[in-house]
Amino acid sequence: MRERLQKLKIKISNFKLKDMLSFKNLPLRRDKAIESAPDSDINTSFPINENARKLHPNTQHMTVLGIIEHPDSGARTLVLRKADGTSAAWFRAGQYVSVKLRIGESLVSRPYSISSSPKDTEDGRLCITVKENPGGFVADYMLGKIKEWDSLLVSGPEGQFFHDSLRDSRNVIAVAGGSGITPFLSMAAAIRDGIEDFNLTILYGSRTERSILFRKELDEIASQTDKVKVIHILSEERKPGFENGFVTADLIRKHAPDDYSLFICGPAGLYRHMEGVVSELELPSKRVRREIIGVSGKPVSAENESPDTYYDLTVIQGPETYRIKASSRETLLVAMERAGIAAPAKCRSGECGWCRSKVISGTYIVSGQNDYRRHMDKETDHIHPCVTFPDSDIVLEVPRVYN
Amino acid sequence: MDKEFDVVVAGAGNAGLIAAIKLQKAGKKTLIVEQHNVPGGCATSYVRGRFEIDPSLHELCSVGSKEKPGSIRRMFDDLGIRVNWVELKDCFRAVGRFSDGSPMDITMPCGKEAMIDAMEREVPGIRKKMERLFRLFDEVNEGLGYFSDGTNYNIRYALKHFSNMLIVGSHSCKVVFKALRLPQKCIDILSTYWSYLGVDMSRMSFLHYAMMVSSYMEEGAYIPAFTSHELSVALEDRFRELGGTIWFNCRAESFLFNDGKVCGVRTSYGDVSCRYALANVNEDIVYGSMVPKEIVTPRLRRLSNARKQKFGARMFTVHLCLDVTREELGINDYSIFMLGSADSEKEYANIMRGMEHNTFAIFVCYNVANPKASPEGTCMCSITTFGSPVDWDNLRPEDYAAFKEKCARKLIKQLKDNTGIDLEGHIEEIAIATPWTFARYLGTPEGCVYGHETADWDDIISRSLQMGKDYPVKGLKPIGAGGPRGDGYSSAYQCGELMAGMVLRELEEAAV
Repeated sequence: MRERLQKLKIKISNFKLKDMLSFKNLPLRRDKAIESAPDSDINTSFPINENARKLHPNTQHMTVLGIIEHPDSGARTLVLRKADGTSAAWFRAGQYVSVKLRIGESLVSRPYSISSSPKDTEDGRLCITVKENPGGFVADYMLGKIKEWDSLLVSGPEGQFFHDSLRDSRNVIAVAGGSGITPFLSMAAAIRDGIEDFNLTILYGSRTERSILFRKELDEIASQTDKVKVIHILSEERKPGFENGFVTADLIRKHAPDDYSLFICGPAGLYRHMEGVVSELELPSKRVRREIIGVSGKPVSAENESPDTYYDLTVIQGPETYRIKASSRETLLVAMERAGIAAPAKCRSGECGWCRSKVISGTYIVSGQNDYRRHMDKETDHIHPCVTFPDSDIVLEVPRVYN
Repeated sequence: MDKEFDVVVAGAGNAGLIAAIKLQKAGKKTLIVEQHNVPGGCATSYVRGRFEIDPSLHELCSVGSKEKPGSIRRMFDDLGIRVNWVELKDCFRAVGRFSDGSPMDITMPCGKEAMIDAMEREVPGIRKKMERLFRLFDEVNEGLGYFSDGTNYNIRYALKHFSNMLIVGSHSCKVVFKALRLPQKCIDILSTYWSYLGVDMSRMSFLHYAMMVSSYMEEGAYIPAFTSHELSVALEDRFRELGGTIWFNCRAESFLFNDGKVCGVRTSYGDVSCRYALANVNEDIVYGSMVPKEIVTPRLRRLSNARKQKFGARMFTVHLCLDVTREELGINDYSIFMLGSADSEKEYANIMRGMEHNTFAIFVCYNVANPKASPEGTCMCSITTFGSPVDWDNLRPEDYAAFKEKCARKLIKQLKDNTGIDLEGHIEEIAIATPWTFARYLGTPEGCVYGHETADWDDIISRSLQMGKDYPVKGLKPIGAGGPRGDGYSSAYQCGELMAGMVLRELEEAAV
């Protein structure tokens, strides 16, 4: 060892001692640098962090500024505005916000695509559209109870359903059903406003001409820009100037250029229908994007069960423990919401992972098509409760809603 | 459940998780509070379509093989942490230009002998000098182990055993390479790793460089099989197995004091009491926002001001999930450093001038090391560079998407120009992480991932030598990438272990 070191004989300056001394004095050098700095308060404000908070606020306190009824479509649009009058968070056309509500004993949330243009955020405005859903607990509340000047707790913009110029074709064929038009209305407005730049052809399925949602707005945008086209398809009516029936591969081919991306948004039935259409079109998976809304299908064993099988669900949330009941037919998230537990949720489709929780004991069924968990999470009994059904009594560790 | 703990660790980052495991294993009742809903901080993953993306990890040093374990593998083994490690074949490929303007395209294999052979091919006649350099690395590593374990040191002992380390110890890489009379071409190649520490060679401590680079070159580089989320889940699992408690979506708001000593932590889940608190949080946030003003000593304020908010690396990464295999794209290298200039000072200066002038990037294709990194028929890549406040401080939210796309396009083109690898037309999923993204998820100042720059008077050896002075608050220590071990996964793990050891000693002393 000694011999090896002597052979090394590293030399920096002419005097070995000088270098060693300067090593010995490293603490002194550091002290000097520190002591020569001012004794003023530590800076705690950083522009990048402030920008990030502006773009991605955890919550936005909003006021219902107005309500636009769409009686023939069974829907209403809520015009929201930041309660403090500041700009709403900027978003990508196609993104959604999650609205948090307390209805009776329940603490619930619902994701709604933003239907207005990103440009409207400048004067604080943001629109969401709610469609009636018979028996739907939250839809009934949003349609029946919400009135002007009510306050709503809204998340920052979320979701990956937007046009990405690096990933997607310049030509987008959008297939929309019913209130699934909302993200496309926002995209169309963003194109008109010069915020997005791509060609958007919307194939929009409605039941009848009268029930078409946002027809006036869509036609108006289409008349303002060549980049947006709207083709209406009526499933229950035959009328000149309208396509009839459902979206088919032929109809898409008729309107599509050589290269295009297919964007789909609508009710569960539309996704089932489009599965066949997409495979007929033989599109590579990078050319098909779906806005995932809700649990696409309850798993078979949950479907077949006799109704009202209830399990014991123990929810551990930090220092608190709650014991509640969970139906085999409802997701674990719904069980927690019914019990008034502040469980985190955003997309309610398994995708965003915001509700990620750990199963301590018990068995469960994850809705197969909504399983967007990380590999190691699957291996370690982590679940997304928004798409997971109980199959026994369960002990679950759940993070609390984060504000 | 009661809310009394021996130690509370605020933040489940790399250092926080390791520290918590060590403390819990030593019988201290430990609570981790983590503001996010996953463990790991930077060491995590997220899912896009059929892909799972690792937001930060390129490779870990100090893992080493089963037969010849490095310090990280030994630490994980000792603490009972199980990880599926995948070994990388080469250290790196670097393309660009040498300082003299001639084209550079070199591949450096892992392993000392193979690396020296490769260097000899590039710079004939260099073998002896390289062997000498590696011997210096060895001495430096022994010396660093001696100086930075947090205990007192004896300068006579050091003089006897690490005299060369003491000679080079206060100098930068630039000075030491020159003193070793290494030819410029060799220096250019050795400088490639500067970006892993985020400080150019004129300001980077040679000791810091020697510690990291010798580990990569001698012990090889490793990644976990299932993204760095695997690391964090393995750590969390071990902590739970030992009886530890972890609360997610739980933010540590502030530290509570009684008679000048930590007695608890105010969290978004309520107050908890403890005898000691570790903050896996950047020092400026801890002392600037999380403790009462009277607790902060003048030296802590001066230290922060002396650092002038010179935060280390702010990352810009474009993650690309492609619908073809890496073979179809002609990708054979795990990591390719694309250098506008082999001169790190010039490169660093250009980076700080903003994306328009930035000529530096690192390309990684995860499937080269790990064929299962993405589904069959696909591959997953990333291109990373540094972000400068020039670009990201004053950008308007409405211009954000367009600007980050423009930067991503530039990097994809840079890859094509440098290597002929053309990713366009194959992108199935894309995710672009900017300094804003890191600021959002980590909450670190300016979205930095490394803490303050480890440079000049504030390099890791100087920090290590002043550990006694840097932690004046009773019962509270910040830990993590900003600490005395510097940045990067391995350093953060080491920092967590080191500081947990100090806490254990302090708690024992207090009990006596």
